[in-house]
Amino acid sequence: VRFAEAEGRDVVSTASAKTIARVDALLVDAGTRRVAGLKLKKYAGDGDTLAWEDLHAFGRDVVTIDSTDGIRPAEGRLAELAGKDKRLVGKRLLEESGTELGRVEEVEFDPATGAVTTLLTSTEEIAGERLLGVGSYAVVVRRAT
Amino acid sequence: VSLLVRGKEVLKRPVVTLDGEDVAQVKDVVYAPDGGSVVGFTLAGRGLFAGPRSEVLSWSSVHALGRDAVMISGADALGPPDQLDADADDEDGGRGARRGRGGRGGRSNVLGARVLTDDGTDIGEVVDVVLQVDGAADVVGYELEASAALGTEGRKVLVPLPDTLAVSDEALIVPAAATEYVAEDLSGFGAAVEAFRRRLRGERS
Repeated sequence: VRFAEAEGRDVVSTASAKTIARVDALLVDAGTRRVAGLKLKKYAGDGDTLAWEDLHAFGRDVVTIDSTDGIRPAEGRLAELAGKDKRLVGKRLLEESGTELGRVEEVEFDPATGAVTTLLTSTEEIAGERLLGVGSYAVVVRRAT
Repeated sequence: VSLLVRGKEVLKRPVVTLDGEDVAQVKDVVYAPDGGSVVGFTLAGRGLFAGPRSEVLSWSSVHALGRDAVMISGADALGPPDQLDADADDEDGGRGARRGRGGRGGRSNVLGARVLTDDGTDIGEVVDVVLQVDGAADVVGYELEASAALGTEGRKVLVPLPDTLAVSDEALIVPAAATEYVAEDLSGFGAAVEAFRRRLRGERS
C-alpha cells in the first residue's frame, strides 16, 4: 500500500463501529525499516499518536482499533519519528556510496506487518530493506547487491 | 568500482551521516606529504552564514566519497584538527615522502606548480588534482593548463602520474611518456593511468 493512499484513511473503533479519527501520517523507524506508528487527526479526545502494536488491522478500506486507550500524546521514540526530519516522502535519496538517486516520491509498505517494502523515485524502485537512515538532509539507502 | 574525481569538485560537497544528517561540508582536501594520496578534509559548517569548523574528517573515517556527498557513519567520525597531522606523519614514515616543495607538503597543494618531463619539456601548470577513489583516495593525475609543448596550448588536459614522482620548490617531474597518455576528460582517463603505469613497470623490469 502506498503512503499517499494510507494517509487520510479513517480509523474505526471495533467496539463502537464509529469513525474516531483519520490517519494523518505514517511514522517510519529507519532502524527497523517498519511503520512504527500513526499520527492521527480529527480525534476528539486527547492525543494524536498510535503505536503500530495498538492497531487491530490496517485494512483495505479503514484502519481498525479495538480501544482508544492506545491513542496518546506523542512521546519518546514516536515523538521523534513524528518530526519533519523523519519524513521520507519528498526527501533527497542518497546511496551510502554518496551518490544521489533522486527524490523519494512515494513509499509502499506491507499493511500486515508495517514493513517498508519499496521506496519510489521518479525513475527507480528501491527495496525497503535497503533503508539505512532518515535525516533532515536525506534518506540514505544501502548499495544495491 | 573506482571513481575518478577532480579535487576541486569535492570542495563544498556535503558531509552526510548514514542517518541522513548533513553535519558539515568539505572546505579543503588535505594531501599526504608526498602528495600521493588524500589524508582527509578540513570542514566548514552548512548553511549560508556558517564559517569554517575546527573539526576535521580523516580519510580513515570516511564511509564513502561519492559524486554527491561524502558519507560518514555518524557525527562522531569528525575529529580534532591534529588527526590529519598524525595521519600525514604515518604516510610520511611509510612512504619515505619528500618534503620539498611547500606546495606539496601536508596542508598545501600543488596548484600552480610547473610540470616538467624528465627529458626537460615544460608541459604546463597544475590547475587541479585527479583522485582515484577505491578504498583509498590516490592522486593519479593532474589537470594541467597545457603549454605549447602539448600542442593544445591553453587548453585543460589530464596527465597521468607515476606511482611516485620527484618534486621540488620549482616543479614536478613526470616521465616523458606521460604526454602520450594525455586525456581531455575523466571518461577514459582511468584506463590511460593504468596503461601508463603498466608501461612504466614494463620499462623498469
